[in-house]
Amino acid sequence: MISVKKVNNRPLNLLERIYVWEIARGLLVTMRHFFVNLVNPKGLPTIQYPEQPIPLPGNARLRTRHRLKMRADGAPKCVACFLCQTACPALCIHIEAAEHPENLVEKYPAVFNIDLARCVMCGMCVEACPEDAIAMDTGEIPGGAVVREELLMTKENLLRNLPGEPSLVGAANRLANEYLRGKE
Amino acid sequence: MPNLTIDGRSVEVPAGTTLLEAAQRLGIYIPRYCYHPKLSVSGSCRMCLVEVEKAPKLVTACSTEAAEGMRVLTASEKVRQARRDVLEYLLINHPLDCPICDQAGECGLQDYYMDYSLRKSRFEAEDKILRQKRRAAGPYLMLDNERCILCTRCVRFCGEVTKTAELEVMERGDRSFIDLKEGRALDNGYSLNIADLCPVGAFTSRDFRFKARAWFLKRTPTICLGCATGCEIEAHHYEGTIYRLVPHPNAETNTWLCDHGRMTYKAVRAGDRLGKALIRKGLIDLEPALRETATRLEEAKGAAAVLGSPWLSVEDNAALARLAKDSVKTANYCFDFSAEQGIKDGILVNKDPAPNTAGTRTVKALYGGLSLEEFTGLLAGGKIKILITEAKAYGLVKAAAEAAGIRLIIFARNRGEAPAAAYAVLPYASYFETEGTFVNYQGLRRMTAAAVEPPQGIKPLWAVVNKLASYSGAELHLDSAPRALKDMDF
Ligand code: SF4
Ligand code: SF4
Ligand code: FES
Repeated sequence: MISVKKVNNRPLNLLERIYVWEIARGLLVTMRHFFVNLVNPKGLPTIQYPEQPIPLPGNARLRTRHRLKMRADGAPKCVACFLCQTACPALCIHIEAAEHPENLVEKYPAVFNIDLARCVMCGMCVEACPEDAIAMDTGEIPGGAVVREELLMTKENLLRNLPGEPSLVGAANRLANEYLRGKE
Repeated sequence: MPNLTIDGRSVEVPAGTTLLEAAQRLGIYIPRYCYHPKLSVSGSCRMCLVEVEKAPKLVTACSTEAAEGMRVLTASEKVRQARRDVLEYLLINHPLDCPICDQAGECGLQDYYMDYSLRKSRFEAEDKILRQKRRAAGPYLMLDNERCILCTRCVRFCGEVTKTAELEVMERGDRSFIDLKEGRALDNGYSLNIADLCPVGAFTSRDFRFKARAWFLKRTPTICLGCATGCEIEAHHYEGTIYRLVPHPNAETNTWLCDHGRMTYKAVRAGDRLGKALIRKGLIDLEPALRETATRLEEAKGAAAVLGSPWLSVEDNAALARLAKDSVKTANYCFDFSAEQGIKDGILVNKDPAPNTAGTRTVKALYGGLSLEEFTGLLAGGKIKILITEAKAYGLVKAAAEAAGIRLIIFARNRGEAPAAAYAVLPYASYFETEGTFVNYQGLRRMTAAAVEPPQGIKPLWAVVNKLASYSGAELHLDSAPRALKDMDF
């Protein structure tokens, strides 16, 4: 059974029914904001996203634009194990694995695409990665593209190390490290 | 017939049955690595340890024969502890490189670790004995000694099934490793079975290497059309692409699969796969090509001939027979194929390379037609102007047709199959993309299954024939594959 609740609205009084006064009252509020902001634009809460970046708190749980970490020789740390692709609920990761001719790592991603237009920024890929090769710690919020192609991240623009990043062997999520260090 | 009790349930088994097989009869699974139902017992991995009452220590279930009154425990604390220990032992020197290992997802070590162990190793990574990493061990196999658990299934397979004995265990103790004998390579025609047999990622397929992760693959049971043996197989595919074929073991024909059969999936996505028809080597849509073909058939009225094919399913042959009889209205057709059949190499490969020679007989029984000899004579006689057939079957009458300069309408899936002289080449769906009935050399009737979608616009052969007939002005009403089998004595 659906229970029905009856609402008795207060009947409108005469002034409200005439309507004109209420309109003017509403416009007054809008105008007040308009002039206050015109005189004092510093107080505006609006920012010009995406041209104007927002400073983000350095939080370990922050999930921003992905990157693929690099080894000392510039090769991707990723070994194309497909675990991130498996974990991704939005099916936005596309990997094509290939055999490295000399490298003992054997397997590497010849193609590694993330379609940010589909990504839900859940961070599951980072969780899944057994090599700690993918991270979402760039501090950039993706979005605001004019054409969809701009939202397709390829291996070339995913591969980067953060400035001053230490040797990557065994490095965990940098922000997570900072967060943990702060706890000590 | 000894009577024994396993986990409190009694079972009677024929003398000589091992404990592992006796447990299997009760539906009790005992983990194993070296045991394989079709290979000799080796008892080397110790994964199958079970407790037998009054026995001084645990025994290996795969090599202990059942005896009267035995009381076996397969899940006691002692057994579980033993399994954990065996796994820890097998993993001591294992490289744990699952992220780059193709076996991941179907690996015996991963599965049993999750089922029976979940324990941290007490051995340091630095102490691991390093062995040789990947190397090619033949045209189809990659060998990684570090991942090997020395179950010797591969060695026994080469010794007992192919009898080629390419492999051997070298050295002793923790230095042992599997190696090829001096100057040998694993090219015995059945080598990819080793990749299936290997419970870990030591032997993996070079063809499948890094192409797809095992857990993405969907499995469709179907049959192999590599020869008249007609092995049951599984096509493993993902997002419309077949990645590999593996055997589907069955009592009638096969436990294994030959390397040639495993590669037959490649034609499906080969670069020369026809997505359109060809008229005089020029690509053209199917519809206009069929109209063109129908016109040519019209011209040749009475001088057309149709040849079936032992490479086509019963349905498609029946459709061709209907085309000849009811649409082209000719008696010049032939569904008479015979070939010496039987296993050629004592394992699987058949003397008859065509998968459906036996199946064409049922078509002949219903529709009659000329014998292949008469048909070839007819072609050579010069009375025939146009011939409709399938690319491989054309090979059987090639000499006669060429000499008489007959116009060829050829059904083909790949450009490479079709003879260069063909007037029209009509594409059709491969049997990985559509159902078809095939009769193997034992007379077993088996169906292929559609594992993947055909390329856009490509239809099964019977449907193409149906269209062709309607362009020729005679409806055959073949609107489904079973429809083509109508009236057939099956
Ligand atoms: S953040 Fe989530 S949705 Fe985006 S790529 Fe990673 S797993 Fe996929
Ligand atoms: S999970 Fe990590 S190593 Fe595996 S494919 Fe993704 S980024 Fe590469
Ligand atoms: S399965 Fe029994 S010892 Fe390997």
